[in-house]
Amino acid sequence: MMIPFIEVIGKNISMTSLENLETQLELFIENVRQIHIIVSDFQPQSQTVLNQKLQSLVHGLQEVDKLKSQVQDVHVPLEVFDYIDQGRNPQLYTKDCIEKALTKNEQVKGKIDAYRKFKANMLLELTRIFPNELTKYRAKRNE
Amino acid sequence: MMGDQFRKVEQYSPKSSPRGARSPVVPRQDSSGTLKTTIILGPNPSIVPPSGPFYLMKEPPGESELTGAMNLMAYYGLEHSYSKFSGKKLKESLSSFLPTLPGVIDAPGAQDNSSLRSVIEKPPIGGKELLPLTSSQLEGFRLHPGPLPEQYRYINQTPIKKHKNKHKKHKHKEGGIPSQETHITEIGQDTHEKKHKKQKRHDEDKERKKRKKEKKRKKQKHSPEHSGGLTPSQHTSS
Repeated sequence: MMIPFIEVIGKNISMTSLENLETQLELFIENVRQIHIIVSDFQPQSQTVLNQKLQSLVHGLQEVDKLKSQVQDVHVPLEVFDYIDQGRNPQLYTKDCIEKALTKNEQVKGKIDAYRKFKANMLLELTRIFPNELTKYRAKRNE
Repeated sequence: MMGDQFRKVEQYSPKSSPRGARSPVVPRQDSSGTLKTTIILGPNPSIVPPSGPFYLMKEPPGESELTGAMNLMAYYGLEHSYSKFSGKKLKESLSSFLPTLPGVIDAPGAQDNSSLRSVIEKPPIGGKELLPLTSSQLEGFRLHPGPLPEQYRYINQTPIKKHKNKHKKHKHKEGGIPSQETHITEIGQDTHEKKHKKQKRHDEDKERKKRKKEKKRKKQKHSPEHSGGLTPSQHTSS
């Protein structure tokens, strides 16, 4: 499984801690699924297995709880939960984020470029009208 | 506070001033705290600063190395991610992201109270030590034999990807719960039913009876642990 939307702060956090958690959660889900199957059509002889499964459920929770400390620095944007809650692929969030970031980057670049051009034009025109002042100005600005 | 401000503005307003509006060219001591300069246009244009040249000049903001003028995607090394996500068309559903997860996960979380938002808004009770269940606690999980009542028997099996079918012929180990096989039989049934969709109904009934018989035979063959290993869908179909 890919976890593209999380932000891992600090390089010392390896992906293995996330992989461990993922494995543990998958085991837990599988256990629950098996319990579901057992109880769907319960047979008297399945009681022992069910009891074992319930104990492993507790054990699974303990294991997940142990891994808590390893993923403390993992940050998940809250918006991604909305995607998941709506039954949507969370990778779409990553895609949307990247696209938005790129658009914004381009917009800001456009603004900066426009201001640069404006400054150059302004200086040009001011030099034409106020040559002495602009010479002083440039000297003051070390330009 | 707001009223005071307005009053102040009124006081200094040229309209309300008894002397009327003053010409901006009249040289005077600047007591308002604002910065003012005079630009004279005409044949000999010049800037008349109140004191010293470039009275308005401020220090330019410090040059930032990282601005929006840069390709930030490249700066943070995310070009690979960008090309990956922009190029291919992503599947909309959550199940395509988590194909191994059982159950219907594409439905809105608010529907069955399984939303992640609700976990944040109403955090569950935590901080308690997780202890294995005692034998008396386990007594509470003693179940009556037989299938679940209809209303609890919702089918929530997701279609398993084809590559998983390679385990088809594997037999389960003693004590294990059939996991793959239950899916496979389910898929088998699904495809089978699709193929024979147009056939008459009584043919399907015959088949169903046949399957039922086979299932019974299987049940007898399997170890006791396997007896409960049926998917809810199988129950509904039988």
